[in-house]
Amino acid sequence: MEVDRVDGRTPNQLRPLTCSRNVLNRAHGSARWSQGDTILLAAVYGPKAGTRKNGNPEKASIEVIWKPKTGQIGKEEKEYEMILERTLQSICLLTVNPNTTTSIILQVVNDDGAVSFLENYVMFKMAYLTKKVQLLPSAINAASAALVDAGIPLKHLAVAISCGLEESGSVLLDPTKLEEQKMKAFAYLVFPNSVASILPEASLQVEGELLEHGMITSVTHGVMSVDSYLHCLERGRSASAKMSDFLRRSLQSRVPNDLPKTG
Amino acid sequence: MVADSKSAFIDQTVVPGDVVLDLSSMSNHTIKLGQGLRQDGDVISVMKAGKLRFSKPNKYWVESSNKRYVPCVEDTVLGIVVDQKADNFLVDIKGPTLAFLPVLAFEGGSRRNKPKFEVKLNRVFAFLKMGVSSSFTNKQGLECHRTENMVKSAGISSEKVLLLLFSECRFFPFSELNIIYFPSQVGKLLYVRVVKANADMNPELSCTDVNGKAAEFGPLKDGYMFESSTGLSRMLLSSPTCPVLEALGKKLSFEIAIGLNGRVWVNAEAPSTVILVSNAIMTSESLTGVQQRIMVEKLMQRVQ
Repeated sequence: MEVDRVDGRTPNQLRPLTCSRNVLNRAHGSARWSQGDTILLAAVYGPKAGTRKNGNPEKASIEVIWKPKTGQIGKEEKEYEMILERTLQSICLLTVNPNTTTSIILQVVNDDGAVSFLENYVMFKMAYLTKKVQLLPSAINAASAALVDAGIPLKHLAVAISCGLEESGSVLLDPTKLEEQKMKAFAYLVFPNSVASILPEASLQVEGELLEHGMITSVTHGVMSVDSYLHCLERGRSASAKMSDFLRRSLQSRVPNDLPKTG
Repeated sequence: MVADSKSAFIDQTVVPGDVVLDLSSMSNHTIKLGQGLRQDGDVISVMKAGKLRFSKPNKYWVESSNKRYVPCVEDTVLGIVVDQKADNFLVDIKGPTLAFLPVLAFEGGSRRNKPKFEVKLNRVFAFLKMGVSSSFTNKQGLECHRTENMVKSAGISSEKVLLLLFSECRFFPFSELNIIYFPSQVGKLLYVRVVKANADMNPELSCTDVNGKAAEFGPLKDGYMFESSTGLSRMLLSSPTCPVLEALGKKLSFEIAIGLNGRVWVNAEAPSTVILVSNAIMTSESLTGVQQRIMVEKLMQRVQ
């Protein structure tokens, strides 16, 4: 199954990932996540006293603010905020710091700038699918790294990946904006990270499946048959293992290596 | 047996979700969990990224460096007073909520004897105490109350209050005037101990040690305070003495107060020493012991 991708990747190949933490001085936790030319900056402030309006004071509340690269936020961005909020709520331990609010601010630094102006213009003309959407997986990854940096108690990490379904029925992982325009449908899948455990693998299974095979969030656009959705799931899952390894490595690098033990 | 009771991940980096201990295989043990760990059914899992540490006989925690502080009983922290209530000072300790410091949580503090901070400061509460007979004292007490209320309502400056008090003194020519300031505590830096820390309520602080003695707790005068990370504070407080402090201490004399919440206060005779020490400390977080010593040496050479 040979698919020619514009940037010469194989269908399963992800764009190069980079993740740096603690990039902002004043935020309590921050991360810069780039996936190819898509770059996002996430900042975490908090936990701050008090929940949001109408929030449950027995739990911590999470607030997501999306800052687009230019212009004001519209319906799409509101939707991302909501999806992110729900996703992050499910990975955070909300009962550890009750009656507090944690704000996560996501700034789009670059939205797959590989696309030239002309192409952008053509795409704008085509515009038959929502644009910018492949930002969402990167945003979730960035937010997840920033939460870790801020030391917010988490159940586990979240790794997000986008899968595109071509007209021919083949699945491409991590499509660029340009590729996305040619897709029939796509799915954004968020998985828990693969955990290191002292337990034998069997005991980690919930009802015969590994925990990391569970899913946190799934967002789909376009028309997709059940079979191709399951296909996406399978491919996404295998790629998520790679991404969670990457996340683990990038988290390790920042921890000071020779902190002496406290007496 | 050792392998059973100790986790294989000790001194390794763990990330949220990792399972580090299996409780079902260690039914007869008591273990103590520090920050970053939680019990999830039959296992202990990690909720913060950092290094898993183990201390004999049974303590486990995850060591990480954050900009925010999670209050923990018996931690010593540096707090900044942000508000003053009848019974409590509200103190910012970089935690999720403000901490309460009861007005009486000072050495010898009781309802009768509210502790005073004798500091040359500027505002709002001036108190007049006359070395005269008790009948006069009562009257003065009333007088003071009046003045205080006046100050509160009218917002007169402290100088005016003093003038007012002096003018009242004319009526008691034989009395000895003794003025004690009750300055506003807002903005003051305190070295305090955390005595209560529950997730559901504001943490409580105290300016005494467990025996009720002031020890070294209390307001910090002069000096310079800077904020760093909790990891740096813990490194500075570690024993044996952290290399950067040891190296600095050999050459310079300075006072330092380190709060586990990531605040560090430095004071010395000369301002230049304060600057040098604080810069050395701030840059030392990412350095190893040897690098810290070299860095301090270079700094000292540049100064001399």
